[in-house]
Amino acid sequence: MPTHFPIKYAALGLALLGGATTAQASEDADAYPSKPIQFLVAAGAGGGTDNFARVVRPMFEEAVGGARITVINLPAASGALAHQRTANGEADGYTLDFASTTLITSLAAGQNPVGLDQLTPVARMQSDVMALFVNPERFEDFEAFKQYAEENPGEVTIGGTHTASPDHMAFLSLVDASGLDMNFIPYDSTGNATANVLGGNIDATTTSLSPLLSYIDAGQMAPILIFSDERLEDYPDTPTTVEYEWDLTDGNDRAVFVNADTPAPIVQRLEEAFKEVYDSEEYQSYAERVNLDYREGWMNGDEYRQRLENNFTLYSRLLENE
Amino acid sequence: MFEHFLGGLAVVMQPLNLLLLTSAVFIGFIGGALPGISGVILVVILLPVTYGMEPTTAFMVLTAIYGATVFSGLITAILYRAPGTPEAVMTAFDGYPMTQRGEAGKALGIGVLSSAIGGIVGTIALIIFTPILANMALKFSSPEYFALAVLGLTVVASLGGRLIFGLIGAALGLFIATIGIDPLTGTSRYTFGNLNLAEGVGLIPVIVGLFAVSEVMKRTLDHESHQPLTKVKVKIFDLPVLRQIGTTLSRSSIIGVIIGILPGIGASTAAMVSYSETVRWSKHPEKFGKGAPEGIAAPESANNAAAMGALVPLFALGIPGSGTTAVILGAFIMHGLQPGPMFMLTSSDLIYAVFAGLFIVNFMILLFSKPFIVLFTKLLNVPYSALGPIIIMCCIVGTYSVRNSMFDVWLMLGFGVMGYLLEKINFPMVSIILGLVLGPIAESELRRSLSMSQGSFDIFLDRPISATLLAVALVLLTATLVMPLIKRARRQTAS
Repeated sequence: MPTHFPIKYAALGLALLGGATTAQASEDADAYPSKPIQFLVAAGAGGGTDNFARVVRPMFEEAVGGARITVINLPAASGALAHQRTANGEADGYTLDFASTTLITSLAAGQNPVGLDQLTPVARMQSDVMALFVNPERFEDFEAFKQYAEENPGEVTIGGTHTASPDHMAFLSLVDASGLDMNFIPYDSTGNATANVLGGNIDATTTSLSPLLSYIDAGQMAPILIFSDERLEDYPDTPTTVEYEWDLTDGNDRAVFVNADTPAPIVQRLEEAFKEVYDSEEYQSYAERVNLDYREGWMNGDEYRQRLENNFTLYSRLLENE
Repeated sequence: MFEHFLGGLAVVMQPLNLLLLTSAVFIGFIGGALPGISGVILVVILLPVTYGMEPTTAFMVLTAIYGATVFSGLITAILYRAPGTPEAVMTAFDGYPMTQRGEAGKALGIGVLSSAIGGIVGTIALIIFTPILANMALKFSSPEYFALAVLGLTVVASLGGRLIFGLIGAALGLFIATIGIDPLTGTSRYTFGNLNLAEGVGLIPVIVGLFAVSEVMKRTLDHESHQPLTKVKVKIFDLPVLRQIGTTLSRSSIIGVIIGILPGIGASTAAMVSYSETVRWSKHPEKFGKGAPEGIAAPESANNAAAMGALVPLFALGIPGSGTTAVILGAFIMHGLQPGPMFMLTSSDLIYAVFAGLFIVNFMILLFSKPFIVLFTKLLNVPYSALGPIIIMCCIVGTYSVRNSMFDVWLMLGFGVMGYLLEKINFPMVSIILGLVLGPIAESELRRSLSMSQGSFDIFLDRPISATLLAVALVLLTATLVMPLIKRARRQTAS
């Protein structure tokens, strides 16, 4: 378990550095960007997080009034290398870490040594909705699924990506809340887990909604329980976790982080730039095209930090109990 | 279906598309030939360029690059023992010894022809079977993948040479694959707290090190700077050779297509399994690894067939069968398209244009590869004192670019030294690669199968495909181990 350095010490440190640097920092923020910017992608090329960074890049460039930006993929160790490089690099806001929820799940699993004491969230841009998916020929709805799971404890198999992934956390939190006795089978990719549900080799998968839309449209897969507080417009008949009084609304998020020592004015400048990108028509049409518009993706840095801290506590507990 | 295909051909034949397709093939040739630069990286680099294109054109270009890289990995594998792509590792085992014998032209000819035939068989399967086979492939789950990996691994016994070395090699490969965070439990294995090892040891540093770097070391340290040839004549259609490799070609193309269609594994595994089966069924298994033409024909026809086959689950199910197809899936989503069950209905024009494009690409490979290869063979005349460092440079840049990791470069150089030392004792490298690629499939699928069955081994026998594959593996393994004993006993009674 990584040491969780309390944030207040970092804040104290910043406060001690004090007034003298504040003026300098806000000047720097006005001049931003004055040198090339690096986007570190904490995931492999071609995946959702990578696409996100590469799509945002020209929009961000425009929002800050021109900059030279390079995108570097650092997929090793679930992105831990990207976090480490951001945390150990200069705290000037020129190294941005594009990460998914995996940041916090791998932290809870002890696979990523870089915590929220070393990284500051700038903004969350996307939150893909998690859901429980089955082959509709096998289970009509969640009630049928639940009944089967209750009558056959330990028999139901649910697939998802690797251990301590957002998929796995969704599974663990569902088991924790519902008390159902089910097994998780980790696969190398969402595709493999999906293929096994389609082929009838396993019973269900817990994963995010957007990659599975084409199967839903074709009637080969159906979301029977959605991790959300309100029913989604497109799936008015699918119940939510909150209806079952299970407070599970976490999605698979994609967000931007910087070194925790980055001066506040620069973090603010970055947050404003990303907000401008988020509100642009171009970004919204991209979000719609890749089906990430089911719920509000935007969350500012402070709100998102609060959410991540809560999730860290929850995920650590779930993994420990497993 | 046929008129759809003709419609697709008409789209491909538009001058602009044809021009783009030709450039894509050349880009693929170059990327595939450079060690370390694989199809995945090329497709990622060129992805932004395709945003401005029509989706149909964009995917013709991306799939053409993909097809061409899988092909051209063989060139440097045969000429310099530096496989340009992981798919071409097996090709180096018999291709390079042929080059050393002065038969580079013959080896390259076999490679080109096998690739094109494999690619064409794969494309035909893609066109005809996409709607049908994709759903059958879904029946393949963990127990079946486990059985397939076991079947592939048993060939270690037939490889010739010392059996104990083969076993050590396979175990070593499996050990290397064990390093990293275990995806099933999240436990770190042999990472010593080093984040660079957490993701595991990549295939590329191992392959490039063991083969390309070790060869450069060998020729430099042992002063083996002889130039075996000055003029290489690539002959693609060589009737006597064709007669010799005909059976291998048909068997390997079929194995390639089938393995390619399975959603879990890709072209590298296909090349490996078909090589294994070719060795197993050959009358002279001892000739493999020393320059057997079948040893080139098998992996090259299988990997190209599998590369096309891997597109079947991508188009029909939205499930990528390999690394590059995963990136192509990402590209579809970026263009606002969703491959999957409805895709064949909603975007059939695009799909058939892509199919037609791939069909043409395989003929372009036959047509254009010769002048391209001649360029590479000219390099053989460059003194090795200059060529060696260039090969090492390419290896370093290529390996670095896979994960932007300097650690991988050191790892690759380390494997180079290891490869050099293992060569000295005639260690069968092929067994290490078998263990490295098939070992982790066997391990994780075994564990997944047991989670599916709540710990019962019956799952392997209850499912017909896995039971059959395991039975075949058992029979073949027993046969290879017992036959020599019977032969010896017979000889003794005869004398």
